[in-house]
Amino acid sequence: MKIFTNGIYSLVIIGIFLTISIQARAYSTVKKIYISIEGKGAIESTEARTISGTVYSNEDNLPLPGVSVVIKGTSTGTATDGEGNFTLEIPDEPTTLVLSFIGYVTRELVINNESQIEVRMDADVASMDEVVVVGYGSMRKGDVTSSVGGVKEEDFVKGAVRDAAQLIQGKVAGLRVTTPSGDPGASTQINLRGINSIHGSSQPLILIDGIPGDMNTVAPEDIESIDVLKDGSAAAIYGTRATGGVIIITTRQYRENRNTVSYNNYVSIQTIARRPQLLTGDDYRRLIREEGIPYTDYGHNTDWLGEMLQTPVSHNHNLTLFGGNSTTNFTGSVNYRDWDGIFLRTGQQRLTLRADLNHSMYNDKLRANIQIINRIFTANRGGADGYAYRQAMIRNPTDRVRDDQQNWQERDGYFYENPISRIYEYNSESRFKEMRISGSLIYNPLDNLDLKLLVSSVQNDTLVGNATTFDHTNTWLNNQNGTASRSTIARVENLMEMTANYHKSFGRHILSVLGGYSWQDATNESFYASNWNFPTDLYGWNNLGAGAALQTGQAGMGSGKDKWQLAGFFGRFTYNYDDRYLFMSSIRREGSSRFGVNYQWGTFPAASVGWRISNEPFLKGNSNIQDIKLRAGYGVTGTIANSPYLSQISYNFNRDQGAFIGGNWVQGFIPARNFNPDLRWERKMEYNFGLDFSFFKDRVSGSFDIYRRDINDLLYSFPVPVPPYLINTMMLNAGSMQNDGAEVLLNITPIEQREFVWRVNLTYSTNKNKLVDLSNDQFEVSNQFFNAGGTGEPIQDYTHRVEVGGPIGRFFVWHTVGVSESGEWLIESQNGETIPISEAVQEDRQFYGNGIPKHILGINNTFIYKNFDLELNIRGAFGHDILNFQRMFYENPYNTAYNMLNTAYDPVYGQRLSTDLAYVSHYIESGDYIKLDNVTFGYTLPRLRFMQHARIYASGLNLLILTNYKGIDPEGVYISGFAPGNDERDKYPTTRTFTLGLNVTF
Amino acid sequence: MLIISGISLPSCLDLTEEVFSEVVAENFQPGERDIPSIIAPVYGSLRALMMGWQGHFDVQEESADIIITPSRPNGWYDGGTYLRMHQHNWTPIQWQPTNLWQSSYRSITTANRVISQIEDGEIPIEAGRDEVIAELKAVRAFAYYLLLDNHGNVPIVTDFRDVSLPLQRTRAELSDFILSELETVLPFLSKDASSTYGQLNYWGAMTLMAKIYLNAEVYTGTAQWDRVIDVCDEIINEGGYALEPMYADIFHWDNANSVETIFAIPYDEIFGTGNTVHMKTLDPLSRFVYNMQAGPWGGNCAVPQFINSYDEEDGRLQDTWIMGPQYHANTGEMVINYTREVPGMAATASNNGYRIGKYQIKQGATGSLDNDFPFFRYADVLMMKAEALLRTGRATEAAILVTQVRERAFVNSNPAKAVVTAETLIGGSRYKYGYQNIDGSIEVDQSGDVPFGGFLDELGWEFAAEAHRRQDIIRFGVFQTKSWFNHRPHPQANTRIIFPIPEGEINSNPNLAQNPGY
Repeated sequence: MKIFTNGIYSLVIIGIFLTISIQARAYSTVKKIYISIEGKGAIESTEARTISGTVYSNEDNLPLPGVSVVIKGTSTGTATDGEGNFTLEIPDEPTTLVLSFIGYVTRELVINNESQIEVRMDADVASMDEVVVVGYGSMRKGDVTSSVGGVKEEDFVKGAVRDAAQLIQGKVAGLRVTTPSGDPGASTQINLRGINSIHGSSQPLILIDGIPGDMNTVAPEDIESIDVLKDGSAAAIYGTRATGGVIIITTRQYRENRNTVSYNNYVSIQTIARRPQLLTGDDYRRLIREEGIPYTDYGHNTDWLGEMLQTPVSHNHNLTLFGGNSTTNFTGSVNYRDWDGIFLRTGQQRLTLRADLNHSMYNDKLRANIQIINRIFTANRGGADGYAYRQAMIRNPTDRVRDDQQNWQERDGYFYENPISRIYEYNSESRFKEMRISGSLIYNPLDNLDLKLLVSSVQNDTLVGNATTFDHTNTWLNNQNGTASRSTIARVENLMEMTANYHKSFGRHILSVLGGYSWQDATNESFYASNWNFPTDLYGWNNLGAGAALQTGQAGMGSGKDKWQLAGFFGRFTYNYDDRYLFMSSIRREGSSRFGVNYQWGTFPAASVGWRISNEPFLKGNSNIQDIKLRAGYGVTGTIANSPYLSQISYNFNRDQGAFIGGNWVQGFIPARNFNPDLRWERKMEYNFGLDFSFFKDRVSGSFDIYRRDINDLLYSFPVPVPPYLINTMMLNAGSMQNDGAEVLLNITPIEQREFVWRVNLTYSTNKNKLVDLSNDQFEVSNQFFNAGGTGEPIQDYTHRVEVGGPIGRFFVWHTVGVSESGEWLIESQNGETIPISEAVQEDRQFYGNGIPKHILGINNTFIYKNFDLELNIRGAFGHDILNFQRMFYENPYNTAYNMLNTAYDPVYGQRLSTDLAYVSHYIESGDYIKLDNVTFGYTLPRLRFMQHARIYASGLNLLILTNYKGIDPEGVYISGFAPGNDERDKYPTTRTFTLGLNVTF
Repeated sequence: MLIISGISLPSCLDLTEEVFSEVVAENFQPGERDIPSIIAPVYGSLRALMMGWQGHFDVQEESADIIITPSRPNGWYDGGTYLRMHQHNWTPIQWQPTNLWQSSYRSITTANRVISQIEDGEIPIEAGRDEVIAELKAVRAFAYYLLLDNHGNVPIVTDFRDVSLPLQRTRAELSDFILSELETVLPFLSKDASSTYGQLNYWGAMTLMAKIYLNAEVYTGTAQWDRVIDVCDEIINEGGYALEPMYADIFHWDNANSVETIFAIPYDEIFGTGNTVHMKTLDPLSRFVYNMQAGPWGGNCAVPQFINSYDEEDGRLQDTWIMGPQYHANTGEMVINYTREVPGMAATASNNGYRIGKYQIKQGATGSLDNDFPFFRYADVLMMKAEALLRTGRATEAAILVTQVRERAFVNSNPAKAVVTAETLIGGSRYKYGYQNIDGSIEVDQSGDVPFGGFLDELGWEFAAEAHRRQDIIRFGVFQTKSWFNHRPHPQANTRIIFPIPEGEINSNPNLAQNPGY
């Protein structure tokens, strides 16, 4: 049967390759024209005369080579050379020259008697003609019938950008990018259109030049554009990987006559924003003296947080070269980034190399590309983690870092350690190396037919070592005499894709057909070993065998390997009638090894339609309306389980489940899980309705989208009864969820003058989420809710509840209404009475606030005045709440063993608290904010002979925030998963960054 | 390219999952040598359950009158979970009884699975097939006994293949089921104690029957004292077990194969981890006393009223509790002084309360003790028989057995005190029941003497910190009627003698009705 189906699919795919149709240039762009002449020169009075000139790009003041210069109405013409110069014989009478170049607005110049001219060409910003990248290809923006968003290089966020996602932060409606951690090695957090999976990932599929990767695969400086496929009709062609959306990153490539070398450099410093204010040593002494609070006074004054912080200097260098010609060319770049963190010993270095080679043969019938991206991330770090941060927060400020003998001043206490000793007595080194090699061949057997083969192999290895010295807690507290471990992970991911793409137009009909096949497999292997009880701490992790814990049976070791495969067939058909009626449909048939045999294959269809009202006769020709398009789309995508083997009937030997049998210790032979061979993917069905518009010569443009997402067959670790099942959860397809939302994108150019331009980009999105159902055919009744999130100790409570019929993200908590005279929380009971917390029961908990913002806003301003440019990016999120762990743990004066915020003694509801730490609604605050995130001020230097372009800039990130939230950063909060809005206590605080940068191009 | 594609396609459609780090069932042919591993998980679940985090030990002790977990400067409020255990305010989401349910059924389901695999021939056993199945059924009965004692009305599942939602049974039905299962398997169980340490042999199964008969009145409403005596007599006369001369040796880190132990849950700091009783009880500073390779957590301790009930010369006081000043193993400096007093469930200092020292801690101990946990031991059999005698009017005979158990406790201090009289056993308890105020004063309970209170005291002193206490004080009515420390009788005390069915189970199996009172 399997061979048979395989055979069928082979036939289908070959069929798609052979289904060749006809098509003509669908995308000839009609250029808009306007003229400005800066003529100079003398009159000559011969019948024919010579005119010469230079053509510059208005965008970057660089000369434009390859521009076609033609006498209007004739075929006489030339093209500009490498310096942008041209010379042309023209009749000695007023003549009109047509200058055209792809990507630029075509210009017509009337030449009277000038012999030397300088022409500036504007980049073609006609928004409807821009090309946007869609799945397995690109489309003219005007033809797109799905919800897609894109940002080009010139509109990227500038400054010390963490990764590719931060380049488009706040610029794509519905895509929320936040930076929850200030750690130099941490990634941004991305969410598109809400939470769409319980157990699978809500992360988008990220493609770098068509190959799956992540936001750090290439350096931000190496990116030309980022496109986002938002709705199901756009993303469905990527099947089971696409529920979280698809982000397509296109790297910078050689363009015609772009023979340049450019160097970018920036240096940045960081500071902690809104640093928490704790009691000082002097505060302790005052409280002991004045109020008799039983603090221990060690007689010193130590700012523990200050001791672990630094003002880090980071730098970044990027060198990119483009060279060659239209048949053979290359792009090469080297990116080196050395970022340090605000915590001591938390730096990370990244070296990313990229080489891209293109060659075309047989009159452009065959084009080949080879790209290699190599990256190496290295970090040598100490022990400045979230836990050390917690220790700095709670440590007695009258204590000192080192004692009189210069040893670390340690004290006894439960989870109470000197944070600075942790930082210096723990060492780690991690090295991540990745090599991605990809190659593609594109063959044009016919004019309108492209056949493409893309193959890639991504191989990466991670090697980690860490060790603690004899002065670390592991030894002074736990007598371990030094600990060390080593671990390594190797990963190989292969991809092969074949696509065939045709277009044809006849009369008013334009159609295109795409067909393809894709194969992906990935193998992960890992190994680790740990040991302790070393004779010396000088070995670090480099002589693991020297530890004695191996001999006593206490050392650790492990290894593992897993693999998955994914195969897909896909096709897409688009049809355009008269540029007015647009239709697109696509389908993907995809199979995954990660599911049960009965459910290995699934189908993911999509369809969308568009109506370009602006091209209807009654609007066409209206010079103030460039585009009005209505869109509607529907598409199905899937989410795959995170880990392979969930459907396998398999066992493990396990020591924890072993026992003493027949006089020996034996390992237990246990099922790996409750077996479920029927596991399949989640299905998301999405409807999207949209409107694109562009008015007043594109000075006002944008789009509006509303969507509904129904996610069925949610993968969920479902509670099952014990008995009859072995363990009380089982991975099942159970339940459904819904997301509704709307998005607005608005691009306005309020001022566009020769010397002064002001552009505004505005994004808004809103999302409403609901868990519709949590049930499964197998079980008659299900849990109507599940709890999520945790406070950690000593409170040890869950924070959120997700209940059927309600949205994700709601806090579930005792609602505080006051504080009793004895300093105890008063809460509202289930009957609405006020009771002390000591009498509260679980049933008194209620929903209170939600951690997911209802409204998200981005406002990006660009000002250009002569050579100066200024960018102001503002973001905001509204209608959400944050559980402020910082206050929950540190704003309570009850436990004098630990330090606290200097507001801890302030009255709450008129009383001073005298009660244990507790999770109550008092610590859930409004998280609304407006943030002035990025201000960049740049100056483009006047042109120099040897330098095509030079710009210097200064930039600040996270500069100003307007909020009532009392924690460090209302945006620096994890919003994914089921406990969104928990502003955790053990964090790496987000930072404020100031950057100075330089871009030069030779 | 098309040709190449056509050729490579079939191989690029193979979605067979390759498994590397798990044993796929269809590739695994178990033989005789795998049988211990196949049986092991039936017992393996018990290790984490008995002496692990929020397990059986805590369920039996924190709900009773000997051990409390008060909140301390370093935490231990934990959402009020220990306070609820102490004051019997647990709900269907209380972790501790839920853990017990999950773990017991894990053993049961594993036993069902292995039994069905053996019966279907998937696991080929030639010699001793009936014996292996009998042992599995005995352990399954043991797991059901835990549920019988703690949750009462629970489903009985014996067929692994049947995944239909099981029906609830009454506590009495469950009791009958366990007893009949045990009767059936007894002839196939080994009587050789020396080769079955850590496994449930004939004598372990007999002791289990005695336990069920001992509590029969609680479980079914009908007392079975004569049965207790009969079963205990067989163990006493034929089992070959004896009292350890030294009480402390029963709980020593090298206590494997003790002559007193009938059924042990073996622990090992390398191969069989999970005994963390010392971690929960010791203050972090005690690590210096034992040169520990772990920092303990500092939580539970003894109820002062219970400590006050001991005879000062009873060796079991010292053998069960860690008290007073503790000294650094290397320097000899005092590191902490454990006081008898505990002000309350809140407002306790880190050194308040005597700590559990019964499971002796060796120098260099890790976070997991080597000491095996004796679930059934010979003294228990003697005391069960004594209680049955006492309750059937044979107090003098009972006193002789109790005296026999007491002898080693006074052998080094005052041997004369070992002797106990029938009057003492029948009379009231020395435990000064009543609510304890923060200053240590007791609002003395006025509800009268505990019937056979003197015998209950003996059970307390002998079996303190052995996860016995909840069951014992339920049988003596103390659990339902008395105040101790910060506990007052629950308004619905009679419903608290079994725990609620865990909420998750009620939600996922509609055949289950919640126990009364919850």
